[in-house]
Amino acid sequence: MTGWVLIVDDEEMIRENLKAYLEDEGMGVAAFESVTLALYWLRDGARCPVCVMDMRLPDMDGNTAIRIFHELYPEMEFLIHTGSSSYSLPEDLRTMGLDDSRVYRKPLQDMAPLAAAVRALAASREMRS
Amino acid sequence: MFMPRRPPRDRFRSAPAFDCKFCLKALIPPLLVFAGIAEAGANGAGLGWEQLAAGGSAEKINYTVLVLIPLILFGVVALFWCWLQRQEALHRSRQLQKELNERQRVEHALRESESRFRDVTEAASDWIWEMDENLRFTYLSERFQALTGIATENVLGLTRWELAGVDFSARPQKWRKHRETLEKHLPFRDFSYQTLSLGGQDTGRYLKVSGKPIHDERGRFCGYRGTGTDITEQAKAEAALYQSELRLRRIIDLVPHMIFARDRSGHFLLANRATAAAYGTTVEALIDPAYPLNHGVPEEVEQRLADDLAVIGDWESRLIPEEVFTDHAGQVRTLQTMKIPFSEPGANDAAVLSVAIDITEQKQAKEEVARMRLYLKNIIDSMPSVLIGVDPWGYITVLNQPAEQTGGISWETAQGRFFGEVFPQLERQFDQVQQAIRHGNPIKTPRMTFEVEGELHYADVMVYPLMADQVSGAVIRIDDVTARVRIESMMVQTEKMLSVGGLAAGMAHEINNPLGAILQGSQNILRRIGPGLAQNHTVADALGVDLNQLNRYLQERGILRLLEGIREAGARAAKIVADMLSFSRRSEALFALVDIEDMMETVLRLAASDYDLKKKYDFKRIKIERAYDSALRLVYCDKTEIEQVLLNLLKNAAQAMAAAGTPSPRIVLRTARETDYAVLEVIDNGPGMEEKTLKRIFEPFFTTKDVGVGTGLGLSVSYFIVTEQHNGRLSVASKPGQGVCFSIRLPLVREKLS
Repeated sequence: MTGWVLIVDDEEMIRENLKAYLEDEGMGVAAFESVTLALYWLRDGARCPVCVMDMRLPDMDGNTAIRIFHELYPEMEFLIHTGSSSYSLPEDLRTMGLDDSRVYRKPLQDMAPLAAAVRALAASREMRS
Repeated sequence: MFMPRRPPRDRFRSAPAFDCKFCLKALIPPLLVFAGIAEAGANGAGLGWEQLAAGGSAEKINYTVLVLIPLILFGVVALFWCWLQRQEALHRSRQLQKELNERQRVEHALRESESRFRDVTEAASDWIWEMDENLRFTYLSERFQALTGIATENVLGLTRWELAGVDFSARPQKWRKHRETLEKHLPFRDFSYQTLSLGGQDTGRYLKVSGKPIHDERGRFCGYRGTGTDITEQAKAEAALYQSELRLRRIIDLVPHMIFARDRSGHFLLANRATAAAYGTTVEALIDPAYPLNHGVPEEVEQRLADDLAVIGDWESRLIPEEVFTDHAGQVRTLQTMKIPFSEPGANDAAVLSVAIDITEQKQAKEEVARMRLYLKNIIDSMPSVLIGVDPWGYITVLNQPAEQTGGISWETAQGRFFGEVFPQLERQFDQVQQAIRHGNPIKTPRMTFEVEGELHYADVMVYPLMADQVSGAVIRIDDVTARVRIESMMVQTEKMLSVGGLAAGMAHEINNPLGAILQGSQNILRRIGPGLAQNHTVADALGVDLNQLNRYLQERGILRLLEGIREAGARAAKIVADMLSFSRRSEALFALVDIEDMMETVLRLAASDYDLKKKYDFKRIKIERAYDSALRLVYCDKTEIEQVLLNLLKNAAQAMAAAGTPSPRIVLRTARETDYAVLEVIDNGPGMEEKTLKRIFEPFFTTKDVGVGTGLGLSVSYFIVTEQHNGRLSVASKPGQGVCFSIRLPLVREKLS
C-alpha cells in the first residue's frame, strides 16, 4: 500500500467503521469529519490517491469539496458515500471521470464492494504514476 | 174560385102550387060532362029495354034503336074518354107529385149546399172584389172588412197600388209588373202584397189576390172581378220563419267551423260562410249545382266522398278525427269532421251533413308538444345520470334511458309501479322521497354502495322534490360515481405514497447514517471477532487471548446470533427506508426502450434464485406459462424499476400460492398490445382475494402477511412505479378461489412525465 485513503464523513461511526474495515483490508486510512480538516491534512503533504467523500458535510457539500480537491490534486480519485436518497451525480463531476458506479448509498450492508473499488482505484492510480 | 150566384128561390117555390090548382080546374068540366052522360044513358037504356020487353011497336023500336045506338056509342066514347082523361089526370098528378118530390129534394140539397157554401164563405178568409175599367175598387164583399179589419169605404174608389204605399215603394219592380198585367187586362193569380192598415189596425195587412178581367156581351173590358185572401198570419209566420232562418243562417255563418251538407254525388246542398271561404268562393256559388265536383286535391275529394258514402251506407254518424283538406290557397289544413246522415225534406235522396273543425293549429300545437316532449326525453335520456320520476306515493312516472337500462325495464312497463319494486336497491330512499316532498328541499346521499353483477359500485343519490303546478312528486337522480371514487381513492393512495416518499426523503439521510453505523458496525464486529483476519490473531496473541476459545464463547452465549440479528434488523430497516424512498418522483434519465420478453425472462431468473427457506416457497415448483404477444417487443420504461415491479408481483403470487397450498401452482406471464398501452400481466391460480383486500391492496403498509413477513410496501411501490413514474396503470382483478391477475399498462406513446 503506497498511499492513504482519505475519508471525509461527519458521522463518526460511519467514519470509524469504514476506517476499521479498510484498515483491516490493509490500507492506510485518514478520516476527517470536515473538508477543512482534510484540506489541512493534505496541505501538510500527504499523498492520497483515493478519497471516499460524504455529501452532506458541516462546512460544505461533497460536490464542492470534490471540485476543490480535484482542482488542487488532479490525480485524486473519488468515491461518493451518501445517505441522501435523491443524490445524482452532477454533470461536471461526470466530466472528471466519475460515474454512477462511484456512488455508494448509505447504509452499506457490506463494505466489501467499496473496499474493492478503493483498492482498484488506488492500483490504477499507482500504475499511471 | 167560388162565384156566388143569386139563388132562384121564388121561381122554385111558386111553381108547384100553381100547377096543382091548374090541374084540378082542368079536371072539373070533363067530370061534369061524364057524370051527365052517364045519368042520361042509364035513364034511356032502362026505358028502352022495358019498352022492348013489353012488346011495343016495331017502328017505335027501330026509332028508339036508331036514336039509342049513337047515344050509347056516344056515351061509351064519352065514358072511355072520361076514363082516359081520368087516367091521364091520374098519371099527370103522379108525375107532378114525383116532380114535386124531386124539386123538394133538389131544393133541400140546394139549401144544404147553399148553407154549406155560406158557412164556407163566411168561415173562409176569402172575399170578392170587383174593379171598374179604371182599375178602381167598386165592390168588396162583407168578408173583406171582417177579415182585414179595413173599412170597405176606405178602399172603394182606389187602385190597389194606392193602397200599398210601403210595399209599393219597397218593391216597385213587383208592382210595375202587376200593373202591366192589369193594364193588359190579363188574368192573374196569387199576387201578394202588403196593404196600408188604413186605420183600425196598427200594422199593414198582407193580402193575396187573384183576378179575372170582366167583359160585357160585346167583349168590352169593364173591370176585374176576383177574390182576395188575408195572408197576414201566414205572411207573419213566413216572415218569422224567414227571420228564424235568417238567424240560423247568420249563426251558421258566424260559426268559424265549416258546416255543409252534400248529397251522395258530392254536390253542396248547404254551406256556411266558413265553408265557402275555405273553397275560396261564395255560399251561393258553392251550393249552385253547377259548382264543380272535383274541387280540390283529387285524393282528398275522393276520400271525402268515400267517407260520405260510408256514412250514408251505414246511416250512422261518424267522426273523422283527422282529415286533410287543402284549401283554395293551397294551405293544407287538418280538419276534424263530424259527418251526420240526413235526408232533406222534399228530397228523397240521402245527404251528409258535415261539421268540420279546423284543428290545424291544435295539431301543430300537439305536434309541437310531442316534439318538445321528445326533445325533453332526448335530453333526459342523453344524461348519464339515472333519472326516476315518482309521484308522492313512490309510483314511477318517468324513467330516462339510463334508468331503463339500470332497471332492465322500459318506461312504459315501469309506469305506475312502485319504484322500490323496480329498483330494489333504492327502496330505502322512499323516506327521502317523502321528506323531500314535504320539506321541498333536495336530499343527497353521497357514495351509496350498490352491487352490480358482483362488482361494487358507488352512486350519489339525489332526491329532488317536484313542485311545479302543484303536481308534487320527486325525481331521484343517481350518478354512478364508481370511476370517480376509484380515481379519487387512487389519488388518495398516490398522495399517501408521495407523502410517504417525501417523508422518507426528508428523513432518509438522518436514518441512513445510524443504519450505516449499525450495519457497518455489525460487519466490522463480526469480522474482528472471527478467525478470518490476520490482524485479529496478532492482537489476540499480543493480549494473550485464545481467539478460537473466544469464538467458542461467543457462540455458546449466542452473541454471534445476536449480532447477526442486529445486522438483519438493520438490513430490514434499510430496505423499508429504500422502499419508502421509491415513493418520490424520479428523473426520466433512466428510461430507455426495453425488450419486454428479455425483461420477463430476467425477472423469472431473479425470482427463481429468490428461493427462500424461511418464506417456505420454492419458485421452481411453480409452472410458468408464457403468452407473449409477438407484436409487442420494445417498451419505453425504466428497466430496473419495472423489473422490480414484475419481481414483486411474481414473488407475491408465489408466496400467496405457497401459503394457500395451491395444488398445482401456475403463473401465466402474458403480454399484449392495446391501442395506447403495452400490457404485461401476471396471472396466478392461487387463492385469490376478497373485495375488501382488493380495495386496499395498493395502500402503503397494507399487508395480509404475518407481521414481519412483508413490509406492506411491495405492491404500493409497484403501483407507484407504474402509475406515477411511468404514467401507466396497475390494476388487479380477482375473486376468492379464482386466482389473481395483475395487469401493468405502460404507455406506448412516450410522454413527457410530469
